[in-house]
Amino acid sequence: MSSKFAILLAAVAAALCAQETPLDPYNSVKINLPADSPLTLISANLGESHASFRGSAVVLDLKMALTLRNSSSNRVRGVTLLVAAQEVTPGGKASVSVPSLDVPPGQNFPVRIDLRLLRPGQMGSGPLVQVNLDGVLFQDFSFYGPDRLDSRRSMIAWEMEAQRDRKYFKSILASRGLEGLKQAMRESIARQNDRPRLDVQVSRGRAVSAAAVPEHNAQFAFLRFPDAPVDPVEGWAEISGNEARNPRIDVKNLSSRQVRYVEIGWIVTDRKGKQFMAASVPASGPEFNLKPGSTSRVLQDTALRFSKDRGESVFIDRMTGFVSQVEFADGKIWIPNRESLANAQLLGILAPSPEEQRLTDLYLKKGPKALADELGKF
Amino acid sequence: MTHPSESVLALYAGKDLGWFARWRAERHLAGCRQCRNEVETFASLRDDLAGQNELPALSWRLAAEMKANIRLGLAAGECVRGEQPAALAWLSGGRALAACASVMALLVAGLFLERPTPPSQPVAGDSAVLRATANGIELNQGGQTLSLLQGPAEKVTYSAGAQGSMRARYVDSDTGNVTINNVYVQ
Repeated sequence: MSSKFAILLAAVAAALCAQETPLDPYNSVKINLPADSPLTLISANLGESHASFRGSAVVLDLKMALTLRNSSSNRVRGVTLLVAAQEVTPGGKASVSVPSLDVPPGQNFPVRIDLRLLRPGQMGSGPLVQVNLDGVLFQDFSFYGPDRLDSRRSMIAWEMEAQRDRKYFKSILASRGLEGLKQAMRESIARQNDRPRLDVQVSRGRAVSAAAVPEHNAQFAFLRFPDAPVDPVEGWAEISGNEARNPRIDVKNLSSRQVRYVEIGWIVTDRKGKQFMAASVPASGPEFNLKPGSTSRVLQDTALRFSKDRGESVFIDRMTGFVSQVEFADGKIWIPNRESLANAQLLGILAPSPEEQRLTDLYLKKGPKALADELGKF
Repeated sequence: MTHPSESVLALYAGKDLGWFARWRAERHLAGCRQCRNEVETFASLRDDLAGQNELPALSWRLAAEMKANIRLGLAAGECVRGEQPAALAWLSGGRALAACASVMALLVAGLFLERPTPPSQPVAGDSAVLRATANGIELNQGGQTLSLLQGPAEKVTYSAGAQGSMRARYVDSDTGNVTINNVYVQ
């Protein structure tokens, strides 16, 4: 019996029965922390979680409020939890990260996971969702965890951005006082509000639907930062209307150290000349080995579709790339400094760092004095 | 992608579709935000209309008069109808039941041979698609979805990774901590 006919039978059965099956969310979730984990699970509240049926499909809403304790002797700066639902999406997984933390030893802190699963047919037995610790970053940049999602690199980059932006706002506070800090916050908030937003749909595997506009290869223009260890040489992507496919960018290692990860920021310009941050194009893995002075290719087999304002297609006119992150073989990471981003007029296009987002939120909710106190903590 | 007609969506919103049509509509709605919005609009209109359609209370005397008039109309109809045409007289009782059973058997056989195909995914057929929705990031794979939601966060920043990932970043309104949700597709 084919799977399609089985689905049809299940739908008929569900329609005939039209009954809800009670489901205990506590048995649907399993939270795994290793025995030697520096974090301890204090509580897991799933109070508002529930299961419901939409015709023949079952919907599981999991609202998890976890309380974790820093059981280590070091201050925690960031945490990433891996959320897997293999039975629902065999090729998919999710993670929840909380960067920009400052949790001293022995202190509790919350992490929320709000997940919805929809699948046809009945629920199977056993936990549908598994939550695992993927990584913990400490104040001294030491790391704990299996790092299946490359969380170490992400969290170190976020922490470096946090240090960079805290230093920037601290220098303003020191040189121009509270009024200067308020002015800098207002500018940051205006940038965040004015930043052009783009809806991007990402698909892997078979290409996105056939568009009416013929496909052509478009070449990247590049922004270059003076201190970047990697130089983008040339690059292309296949463009068809508001769709872009298979970006490939050649990069050269200008440094004296081996590079194991490069990330290119991808900006698209529409036909009206408006620029949008489209995506990041990373390259890593065993096949990507960028020795000093050598050139390699950043390549992704993917398709992106761009739109804005509830579905209006954004037709791509030009593309720009810049090196946004580099990881060396020794684990050290390079990110652009704030001056380079400002000089390249990227501050108005890129999203703010997580720390800048947190600081502006603190300023809006608690005012400049609370922000100054926060900047004085570390 | 072919969308269901407005009448089908309206019937679905009112829970008036048959099981098969309802199943087909739900298969489509699972992957089509536009039609889901239509259904929500119909449902809210229906609720509004239900509130406006309440009849004023009738007096018992008026109700009795209406009943009497209805009975009179039915009796008059019987008088003028005459006898049933002979051509349909044979179609009654066990014969009608047998005819209905035959039609049902034909429909079931046709359904089995036809094996209707579930609607394809909105963008990329059987491939996995990641997209940002109003509530979070949604991964749709073969009609099954995994969504990581951000709750009532005010400002959410989305970013895409060409390796097949999408990220939503926001400040948790209760804790003040930045939270970054990632969904990956392989």
